[in-house]
Amino acid sequence: MLFLIKTLRALMRSPQGAVGTVLVFLLLLISVFGPLLAPQDPESFNFGSRFAPPSAEFLFGTDWFGRDLFSRILVGARSTVLLAILATFIGTASGALIGIFSGFVGGWVDELIMRTIDAIMAIPGLLLALMILTVLGSSSLNAVIAIGVAFAPGMARISRSTTLAVRELDYVSAARARGESKLWIIFAEILPNMVAPVIVEATIRVAFAIMTLATLSFLGLGAQPPSPEWGLMIADAREHMFRSPWPILAPGISIALVAIAFNLLGDGLRDVLNPHSQE
Amino acid sequence: MTQTMVLDIKDYSLTYQTQSGPIRILENINLQIAKGEVLGLVGESGSAKSSLAYSVMRDLPGQVELETGSMWLKGEDLMTMTEEELMHRRGKQISMVFQNAATALDPTQSLGDHVVETLQAHQAASKEDTLKRVYELFELVGLPDPILMANKYPHEVSGGEKQRVVLAMAISSNPDLILFDEPTSALDATTAVNMLDLFAEMQKKIGVAGLFISHDLGVVAEVADRVAVIYGGRIVEVATVDDLFANPKHPYTQSLLASLPRPSDIRNKRGLKVDEGTPPPRRGEVPSCNFSHRCSKHDPAICDQSRVFLEVQGDRKLACVRPDVAVDETQASSSDILPATTDVVLEVKNLTVKLGRTSLLDELLNKEATQVHAVNNIDLKIHRGETVSLVGESGCGKSSLARALVGLNSFEGELRLNGRDIKALDEAYRADVQIIFQNPDSSLNPRHTLETILSRAIKLYRPDIATDERSEAIQKLFEQVRLPAHYRNRYPHQLSGGEKQRVAIARAIAADPKVIICDEITSGLDAAVQAAIVALLRKIQQDTGVALLFITHDLAILRHIAHRTAVMYLGEIIETRSISGLDHAPYHPYTEALLSSASSPDPKTETRQVRLKGSLPVRTSLLTGCGFESRCPRRIGDICHEQPAPMKEVVESSHVLKCHHEIVDLEHIEPVWKFT
Repeated sequence: MLFLIKTLRALMRSPQGAVGTVLVFLLLLISVFGPLLAPQDPESFNFGSRFAPPSAEFLFGTDWFGRDLFSRILVGARSTVLLAILATFIGTASGALIGIFSGFVGGWVDELIMRTIDAIMAIPGLLLALMILTVLGSSSLNAVIAIGVAFAPGMARISRSTTLAVRELDYVSAARARGESKLWIIFAEILPNMVAPVIVEATIRVAFAIMTLATLSFLGLGAQPPSPEWGLMIADAREHMFRSPWPILAPGISIALVAIAFNLLGDGLRDVLNPHSQE
Repeated sequence: MTQTMVLDIKDYSLTYQTQSGPIRILENINLQIAKGEVLGLVGESGSAKSSLAYSVMRDLPGQVELETGSMWLKGEDLMTMTEEELMHRRGKQISMVFQNAATALDPTQSLGDHVVETLQAHQAASKEDTLKRVYELFELVGLPDPILMANKYPHEVSGGEKQRVVLAMAISSNPDLILFDEPTSALDATTAVNMLDLFAEMQKKIGVAGLFISHDLGVVAEVADRVAVIYGGRIVEVATVDDLFANPKHPYTQSLLASLPRPSDIRNKRGLKVDEGTPPPRRGEVPSCNFSHRCSKHDPAICDQSRVFLEVQGDRKLACVRPDVAVDETQASSSDILPATTDVVLEVKNLTVKLGRTSLLDELLNKEATQVHAVNNIDLKIHRGETVSLVGESGCGKSSLARALVGLNSFEGELRLNGRDIKALDEAYRADVQIIFQNPDSSLNPRHTLETILSRAIKLYRPDIATDERSEAIQKLFEQVRLPAHYRNRYPHQLSGGEKQRVAIARAIAADPKVIICDEITSGLDAAVQAAIVALLRKIQQDTGVALLFITHDLAILRHIAHRTAVMYLGEIIETRSISGLDHAPYHPYTEALLSSASSPDPKTETRQVRLKGSLPVRTSLLTGCGFESRCPRRIGDICHEQPAPMKEVVESSHVLKCHHEIVDLEHIEPVWKFT
């Protein structure tokens, strides 16, 4: 707890860390309380004001059924952001563990794991996710698992390469000479020193996760209409793009904001987690 | 005045802006370098000596808060020049030789192209002329076969050759001034002396002015005409080499010289001064004299009256208002090393280490993997309470041996600890044989507090200490290595280099070991800190009777720590001798060269020059003859190439050497040092 407060305080000191933290915090608030804050029912039609531009009544405008985009964004935040974070977390955690293990053990085990990962990476991420969904059946949660699994190989590569660099350092040699257990070396000596690039990569991946979720929803394998999931909103609005830009712009900008917020947070975290920056 | 000086720095000050406020880097620097003169700039790490070089180059890495004064290069003020004007001067009028030639050269460019590029940037000439000039330059810096060399790439040549190419680049445009930033500290001793000889020779030939920056007074003594001593961003003393070393006046210079080992130390029973000191004040109020906080003759009534500036005092310039007051010299530690016992603690026989792993693919294809023979058939005994030093140049296998002894490299051969045959390195062995690594920056996990670092060692090795008593044990370790107790929650990066190395020592002694292997543990440290670490190790040895295997490439410090020394070359121990007899022949020809190449700041000692040519042979195949044969200045003939050198006893078991020469012949060789 003390560590968390300390990290937060350090985060607020750098400009990008502060902006990132505030944005992500707001986003989480919206994800939790969004449905309560929404001024209108996200699924009620207003046929009188289809494709309305932003106004006092409809803050972000309306879509082709006259649904209030602002309310839809607020309500959709939960499924979009939380699911994307969950997918990223699954991918990062499993990938990092595979990578650190493979890098530390080395030898033929490393060869075997990394060649398998190369083979998996040869399949495009989306196709892999599709394959997994075909096996698991289509639902939002399965989409999350599929994306997590599709992310893991990339994370494994990154964490393996940083592990290889850290493994050669003398403090790992010292731990080995001391006769420390492999678990201690992996989790106490190596992991804290390779986690920074992994966290930064993970924050970038959140935005990818949102887009991939959207694609899966579009293909009918994730969220289903009329769900206000952001990616699905963009996918559906595609047909009406030339009549009004707002149904695409509103969720598009939201996704961009989420991506920026997490990237800033990642940048801030990278600096804070570097022990040399602590005075 | 300005007309005759190549570089004239007048009252130059530099302040950087940092997150935690302004920090004074350089203060009121006044320096002149005449044509054809080499000025040595000496100071400990953090004294801003490299910053001075960067400010002469007008390439400041920090965020400048304030910069005052002027800097005249042949009558032109560098500080008022535009970036474009400076571009024409950098590389043409001022050039720089960097510390690390390996990173100063572009790995994708051939060595010749490096110099061609520099030449073309500053003068237009035909391609043939340029190439001809490149070969001339390579010849000049002593690179054999220039045409072949010009077509090689940086990774194909040795460190010394790379540094020669960097030097060739620096002199290619006939500059007025060359800045040398620690040009020899990354090189081996025998290569470094060759470079120093070359610098001196070049200096005579082309008469260029030089600013030679180094932390090593001995190195500066070899090349410089005058020496400026810098402390905490202020020049404290400027004098000719002879005056400075014979009679240092500033208390800082005195303490610096007092902590440096000299070849005559055994004869004179001289100890090293231990004074780590605290870093000089760089923030806040400007002190009158920035050395006063560690000066033993500091008198507030006199010293704190007004700012102490560098002023002419007799034959030199000095920034001290009380130069004639004698300093209390009793602080020096004694030079006596307690005698060792005769109980053997650690013994190795026929130990061989091969590096390089065989990959699965090679095995399947039945391919012979190339292995490096890092250590070949070594015999070594260490007694209780004894320090055996293992010396040799990089690549001689000394670290491979150290890593094998603590289970980080696999090895073949016999290993005995306290008479017990060690087949596999078990827990008891690991506890008894500890290692301290060269660089505490990488040997201490940056994410662990000192408490975590030490408690792990206690937890693993000292099951007799209960969990709730560990805190007390850590407390005791802190006291033993003289670190303040409140450091316990700090992280390694919050400590200075010397303090970090103390933590590494504390971790090693936590196990209450029988043997500690010290792998170059003082090589990255300043002289004063090195003296303190050596004194600490001796104290620990005195109290616990631990045996030390002290690995180093620095021969000067041996006289203050070791009982015996083993000299390694190409994976073999070629000589083992006691330190007390280090001043007397016979020597193995390699030992002779190695001892001769240790630089010495002592004006009363004359070192006979023995220089080695060529580089180490490849270590992937075993040689039939003597390993040193290819570089040996005392090579006899074909016998050296065809037959392995026999081990010969000079004094029964305490001094042995491996050479085809008769011992009697080697005994008649002139001594390496002449003491007056």
